[in-house]
Amino acid sequence: MFNIAATVIVLAAALVIYRAIKGPRIYDRVLAVNVIGTKTVVLLALIGYIYERPHFLDIALVYAIINFIATIAFLKYRQTGGLD
Amino acid sequence: MKDDIIIRVISNLLIPFIQLYALYVLAHGDLGPGGGFQGGVIFASSIVLYVLVYGIDEGRKRVSQKITDVLNSIGVMIYGGIGVACLMFGGYYLQYGKLPLGDLKEASHLGIYGIEIGVEVTVAAVMITIFFEMARRGND
Repeated sequence: MFNIAATVIVLAAALVIYRAIKGPRIYDRVLAVNVIGTKTVVLLALIGYIYERPHFLDIALVYAIINFIATIAFLKYRQTGGLD
Repeated sequence: MKDDIIIRVISNLLIPFIQLYALYVLAHGDLGPGGGFQGGVIFASSIVLYVLVYGIDEGRKRVSQKITDVLNSIGVMIYGGIGVACLMFGGYYLQYGKLPLGDLKEASHLGIYGIEIGVEVTVAAVMITIFFEMARRGND
């Protein structure tokens, strides 16, 4: 069952990649990358269940944090032209 | 960006937990994924988030140049100090078992913890320094 869920999430991420490549505005691309990151968090948790290694949850948490910070950093760079 | 109430409130909520999580990654380095380097990078990312929200001047008030410069060296000194302490108690360099901290297993455990703490301090300070130098305007 976890295998099916993981496959569906990978397919959904592939759909979002279309928006990341095609997206007319830059905010579409940012949102697409953010959605892929969120799906990766869920995928990492599912991989932890599939291989029965709960340590994957730690990696999923780190990925959630870094994803959040990266989105804010990119949007700030886009808005103000610098990171300070 | 500090006028943005959503980003400010969420960041204020998240930053302490990110730092706590960095210490968790450090402390569980021998049981799960993680260790000193990863914990240091996660700790530095919390400072990066603070600087992104409040600006580089406010960030340098919290984490001044002097503090990061000193912490750079302190981490290396912890690492080297534990290695030399092993030499002084009659073992090889970084042979934790010779430390007088209980039996062999416990001494090895605590020795590796000390090494990881040294690595975390240095990596966090270096990452913060790199970010400040890269984020400063007029530096390219």
